[in-house]
Amino acid sequence: MKILRIGPLGITTHQRTFAVGLALVGVLAALLVFALTAGKADISVFDSIKAAVGISVGAPADFIVGQVRAPRALTAVLVGGMLGLSGAILQSLTRNPLASPDFIGITMGAGTGAVLTLWLVTATSLWVTAAGAVAGALVTAALILGLAWKRHGVVPLRLILAGIGIGFVAQAITQYLLTRMDVHDAGNALGWLVGSTTGRTWTHVTVAALSLAVLVPVVLWNARALRTMEMGDDAARALGVRVGASRGVLAVCSVLLAAAAVAVCGPIGFIALVAPALALRLTRNAGATLIPSALMGAALLLAADQVSQQMPATLQFPVGVFTAAIGAPYLLWLVWRASRGGPS
Amino acid sequence: MSPTLQTRGAVIGYGGPPIVRGVDVAIPDGEITAIVGPNGCGKSTLLRALVRLLSPEEGTVLLDGEDIHRTPTREVARRIGLLPQSPIAPAGITVKELVARGRTPHQKVLRPWSATDETAVMSALHSTALTDIQDAVVDELSGGQRQRAWIAMTLAQNTPLMLLDEPTTYLDIAHQYDVMDLLHRLNTRDDRTIVMVVHDLQQAARYAHHVIAMHEGEVAAAGTPTEVLTAELIRTVFGLEARVLEDPVTGSPLVVPAHGPGGVR
Repeated sequence: MKILRIGPLGITTHQRTFAVGLALVGVLAALLVFALTAGKADISVFDSIKAAVGISVGAPADFIVGQVRAPRALTAVLVGGMLGLSGAILQSLTRNPLASPDFIGITMGAGTGAVLTLWLVTATSLWVTAAGAVAGALVTAALILGLAWKRHGVVPLRLILAGIGIGFVAQAITQYLLTRMDVHDAGNALGWLVGSTTGRTWTHVTVAALSLAVLVPVVLWNARALRTMEMGDDAARALGVRVGASRGVLAVCSVLLAAAAVAVCGPIGFIALVAPALALRLTRNAGATLIPSALMGAALLLAADQVSQQMPATLQFPVGVFTAAIGAPYLLWLVWRASRGGPS
Repeated sequence: MSPTLQTRGAVIGYGGPPIVRGVDVAIPDGEITAIVGPNGCGKSTLLRALVRLLSPEEGTVLLDGEDIHRTPTREVARRIGLLPQSPIAPAGITVKELVARGRTPHQKVLRPWSATDETAVMSALHSTALTDIQDAVVDELSGGQRQRAWIAMTLAQNTPLMLLDEPTTYLDIAHQYDVMDLLHRLNTRDDRTIVMVVHDLQQAARYAHHVIAMHEGEVAAAGTPTEVLTAELIRTVFGLEARVLEDPVTGSPLVVPAHGPGGVR
């Protein structure tokens, strides 16, 4: 275990984790530059970056990069980060690599909440949809917890089964709401329900950035408790962790991160499932790797978004479809490994 | 001087009928205490209450004369270490990383790792003879090594009191005695007070200074092994006919069940 100490705050991390983190930041930066510059419009790399940070370089670039490409790319980065972090927390809390907000119904619940607000309130702003998504996610989480609760605590397997069940119920409600909406609203809702980064604006970036700014410090403050709880409740308590309080705070943070991600981009599947697992494999850490998971989520979503965006027009599809296409094989692989009794 | 850790009229349960029904126990400082009794007698429940994992429904657990439930979790964790019955090793964790987690109660959010932490971890690894395999992955160790790693984690916590819930269960006989010898060393050399729940009366008799025998949620007897481990007590507590001889190795009581072909029945 080679430990690296950084700066006066005494942040310690494994050398390998730090190296993986740096590499991911590098990949993310390269992807961002690509996302800002690639496209049909003939704008130089330099002008693109200037326009992205708000320095005016003339009409087409200011709009194409400043108002279209930059907010879309940043939305993908922030939402990917939220999903990666949300999944990492949930997988660690449940000690199960299959636990991710899109698998245990949280994402579906957020979607139902958002569609419900779209149905109830005409001419909604993003903030209203976001509030609906958060409310939907919290209600779903409360229901899942209620079902998974047995005597003194949450049984991880029950949590996942209850989550899958509740997720289907939430999806059914969403479908029903779609049939009750007028065709135009339903079309909008449906487009949003696929999960997409298309047409995202600086308002979306603001919502995502604010959510992260509030939730990330809370998560990091509880990171040690999270890792200690992986050893079982008794061991964690005996090591001075207030298990109930820490678990509650972390679970709420995970739900809120997923809800905010849904509010901004719609339900994008599999990032929250795959990113923490990849981060774990790369860092070879034992237990939760929060920051690498977030960075991995950001890189994955931005990359997926670019792949779906740079396709020829006839082949373009929403990023949610693409993440599902890369996530499904991973899931099958997990199941295959589990059925062979190997570590997952 | 009153003992560091004691209970007064502790009634402990999980919401239903109480498992432990009003016990007064005192853990002698600087000694090894063994809690014995049949399955379901409440010995593990008592142990969990002693380290504040459970709160008594009635009565109190006193740590340094104060109600342990008014002591902050982290403060308790600096004074009492616990090795739970079935702790979970996070997948892929190395021995040293696991042992390092014992330092959790001594760390702060912005000051995670100090020289004191490093020293405590290295010394715990040394005491448990794990220094050479500190980089090995815990999942891949033998049962005995794994149990030593967990004990090392509890050691690194550096608490004057160490509580262990069935530390030798699931180990083969040689590893059981390895663990017992280790606990004995920790007690004599480092002056740690040790409380262990054990099934094997032989181990209790040989290694403990003080034995608490529990029966149906109450303390049936407490005292030295010779005082507690009598044929009569074993009959009432375990429902087992036994003869108690003198252990030819240590002179402590040796419980020999009288059951079996040629015995009673």
